Amino acid sequence: MDVTKTLQDLACDLLREGKVSTVIGYEVGPRGRTRPVFIYDPEEVSRLVWNQNATHNLTTYLHHKLQKPEDRVAVVVKPCDSRAINVLLSDNKITREQVYVIGMACEGIQEGAGFGRANGGGLQARCQTCTERTPVVYDTLIGDVPEVKGVSDVGPYEKELERLEGLTPAERMEFWLSQFDRCIRCYACRQACPMCDCPTCLYERDDSLWIGMGTGVNEKRTFHLGRAFHLAGRCIGCDECERVCPMDIPIGLLNRKIAKEIQEMFKFQAGIAPVPSPITTILSGEEVGS
Amino acid sequence: MNFISKKNLTAWLDKMGEMANLVAPKMVEDVLLYKKVENSSEIVWDYILPVQSIKEVFFPPTERLLTIHKNGDGVKLAENLHKDQTLVFGLRPCDARGMLALDALFLETDPVDSYYAARRKNTTLIGLSCKEMGDTCFCTSVGGGPQDTTGMDVMLTEVDGGYLVEALTEKGTGLLGGLKLEDKAVEKPAPPSGEIIPLPEGDAWPESFKSPFWANLSERCLSCRICAYVCPTCRCFDVRDEPLPGSNGGDDYERIRCWDSCAGEVYRRIAGGHNPREAKGERLRNRFLCKFYYYAEQYGPTACSGCGRCIQSCPVNIDITEVLGAVAEATHDAK
Repeated sequence: MDVTKTLQDLACDLLREGKVSTVIGYEVGPRGRTRPVFIYDPEEVSRLVWNQNATHNLTTYLHHKLQKPEDRVAVVVKPCDSRAINVLLSDNKITREQVYVIGMACEGIQEGAGFGRANGGGLQARCQTCTERTPVVYDTLIGDVPEVKGVSDVGPYEKELERLEGLTPAERMEFWLSQFDRCIRCYACRQACPMCDCPTCLYERDDSLWIGMGTGVNEKRTFHLGRAFHLAGRCIGCDECERVCPMDIPIGLLNRKIAKEIQEMFKFQAGIAPVPSPITTILSGEEVGS
Repeated sequence: MNFISKKNLTAWLDKMGEMANLVAPKMVEDVLLYKKVENSSEIVWDYILPVQSIKEVFFPPTERLLTIHKNGDGVKLAENLHKDQTLVFGLRPCDARGMLALDALFLETDPVDSYYAARRKNTTLIGLSCKEMGDTCFCTSVGGGPQDTTGMDVMLTEVDGGYLVEALTEKGTGLLGGLKLEDKAVEKPAPPSGEIIPLPEGDAWPESFKSPFWANLSERCLSCRICAYVCPTCRCFDVRDEPLPGSNGGDDYERIRCWDSCAGEVYRRIAGGHNPREAKGERLRNRFLCKFYYYAEQYGPTACSGCGRCIQSCPVNIDITEVLGAVAEATHDAK
């Protein structure tokens, strides 16, 4: 059966049986762009689609939808997105019972997806080296699992990382500052990120002495490097931050560099299992402070 | 009509660039932006629209308003007014119209914003007609058009071998003073056309206030600020006093104002922590009601020039044309 139809039928059953109140999935808007959709009514499941433009990491909506312990939602995930669920579980942001995970067998997402620019431009950079075809966590898996074949170990990110690693620290700094210089502090990277869910962002506190309000390069450097470090061991590499950036700042590259170091030093990859990363500090008792 | 060859135009721009800051469409890595160019070779000539609007030339993302120096028991304030001359080349009609919307607030409503006024006064605008309408352009639905000259000092329209030249203001005529133009028997090409979207009428906007439409639409909204920051008319800002770097002992401060956006959660938070627009739907509703209702009520023009940048850049496809359609349809249904 057609993958989209299977997905719609499952969503319909979940809503009818009251297993979940909401299905978070994808629809195609009037402009032909694939986008997130929230389905509450079994009559509406025909809006749901699955296609190679389903780029958004929908787990970013979970914490908003799961405010109370009894809240139940279903979410459509790709293999990469599913690792975000494990991180959210290990961060105690959600519980496994709260989420019905609809896992999609994935062949990769098209470049330009979500912006209506996906016209046979090939796979996104992150997908070019990806060998994950099924999610690491799911309640139902939909779609035939495609074979992993002809996947290169070296994609655009790997090449660019290698180039940057070959530079001197001063040259690398120059590279990153020139990238951050374009930042307009729209916070789209943070808002799209499933892991960026602090109630008040450190970089946006009214009383913040960490970073001023301006868009000077110092503020932008502090924001981007600080955010990257906060995501260390938690970033699952979905690259939504980079996709949403209107200024094309290669934010994913920064996160990948840190993920690579953590992999090399601790043999740890975020989200493979619902366990905290070895570099996560867990405070307890008096350490928590006020 | 007056005509100039591309060769003469670029030579003139290079000359002008020696006397003023020349701002034009320029590639910064892979992003097209209106930026200062050193000479005409950096200018991009074929484009639909830069990712960001021209507003940052008049209303910078961060602007120092004052410096504050603590002097014993007193303070010394020094105002920071922009004095440089700027020449904008390659401005699109939607951006010029967007600026007129900003003028209504910053220049035409008391008190005049002296910072904006100084930059506006020292800037001359050379427009470039659009050869085509982009996928997300809808200027023709909100009163503009691909060859609309509103707000420009000089308008150029590309024809075979060069550009037709129209001086539209005294400033524009003055600017072209030293330039030799040919009189050529060439007509302006017909402007490209776009689909016209019906706009909500009458009280449609206030009537939509309590509609569940806003909460539904906002579900996928990320509450980022892309739409406001790429918009030629969004003009909200925040003001703060911050210490100057290297101000030993904390005697020197600057008062800065920075772009802000009603999409952000903290934007509307008030003393005591209360937030009258806590829900995403309330914030998103404000964005659209401000554009088409509140702003027009308070200052005259609507705050949308149909550039479509917010559609182009929205990561989750919140689409202003869909909103216009839905609000218009709701009133139509109610009748």
